[in-house]
Amino acid sequence: MRRRLALLAVTLFVGWMLSPMLRAQTAPAQAAAGQAEPEKWNNVPPRKSTYAGKKSDPAPRRDLSGIWDGATSAGNGLEDQGAPAMPEDGKPEHQIPFTPLGLEKFKLTKPSNGPRQSELGEINDPLYMCDPMGFPRLELFELRTIEIAQTAKQVIYLNEYYGQWRIIWTDGRELPKDPDPRWNGYSVGQWVDDYTFVVQTVGMKEATWLDNVGRPHSDALRVEERFHRVDHDNMELSMTIDDPKMYTKPWLALDKYPLRLQSDDFDMPEYLCAPSEMGDYNSQIGNRGGLPTSPNNK
Amino acid sequence: MRNKLAIISLALVILPGVCVPLFAHHGNAAYDTTKTVTLKGTVTEYTWANPHVFLKVDAKDDSGNTSHWVIEAQSTVTQNAAGWSRTTFKAGDEVTLDVIPIKNGSPIGRFKGRIVINGTVFKAGAQPAPGQ
Repeated sequence: MRRRLALLAVTLFVGWMLSPMLRAQTAPAQAAAGQAEPEKWNNVPPRKSTYAGKKSDPAPRRDLSGIWDGATSAGNGLEDQGAPAMPEDGKPEHQIPFTPLGLEKFKLTKPSNGPRQSELGEINDPLYMCDPMGFPRLELFELRTIEIAQTAKQVIYLNEYYGQWRIIWTDGRELPKDPDPRWNGYSVGQWVDDYTFVVQTVGMKEATWLDNVGRPHSDALRVEERFHRVDHDNMELSMTIDDPKMYTKPWLALDKYPLRLQSDDFDMPEYLCAPSEMGDYNSQIGNRGGLPTSPNNK
Repeated sequence: MRNKLAIISLALVILPGVCVPLFAHHGNAAYDTTKTVTLKGTVTEYTWANPHVFLKVDAKDDSGNTSHWVIEAQSTVTQNAAGWSRTTFKAGDEVTLDVIPIKNGSPIGRFKGRIVINGTVFKAGAQPAPGQ
């Protein structure tokens, strides 16, 4: 009799614990209250496991176009440990080949998180002033989704996080010799075979960090990207950093970084850094809490 | 038998929480991640913006004293992915929240997980990608 009562009590307990879940508003119900057709807008890529075992059609020729998800990487597209092929993890194979000047400049960068997380009062990541990410940081940090379109003379590249765009010229022009620096530099690209597109970029502003752990660059930086269309749904992105003022030799920042094609219905969310919103956040939270976005913590 | 049922019922409670990826968060050093504070009070303002979505709550303690709390979530992109929107909260909502408090003692915190709005448990849910 006691056993049956205990069983009944536990069953009732389980039922009581489960009932809030059954009654709880689910995300679609709440979304209906605040937004129309939520699944059509502000999309996020599916979890990595969704892709497992899925077969893909063959790669189209000379075609990078589509919306690509960077979050299937080991770092989930976030990459707060630094350039994914050279994270700041102390391993000998990930030792960055700094020149003396490069090492000096590296010591001056004070990140807010990750392996080189700094004291609150010292953090100086320019992203907290709503500076643009710049290139190549937009590919080495918070690579969430990107959208690529092609015209006869250009590859148009749109980046979700901090809302940057780049134009890669495919009209055969040469890179500029002594350009006025731009946040995203100047890019030209060409197909080296039907499935591999190689891009060269120069003229990037020195104020930007290469990645989230604060690797520096100079005006001598030249970045090479290799986009390899593996099959219809998969692309691999490799990137070489070549900056003789900062580094004694070129190094690989991305090594076949996986990009996964999304549906052409995918609506990229918007993440822009607005100084007014950043200011509001700082006055309500940042300054009062001593958080790194606060200008008081420069 | 009783132990097995207890374990199963506990698992059933914990597991259904949708796994939203744990984004590395700037400002970790400012929060006391060893503590959890449970706030009960009324929403006074809800801000749907970047860099962080945040909520202002007038929370009463056991003695009836009110403190004005500000609790931050992540970006609108991240919160949207977790099923939040600009109407998830509104002024006047009665809420119970678990928060991780800031170290410096100000009434500032970060959402820890449990959210109850007007008596209903809020379950974060990831919206499906198109074509799924």
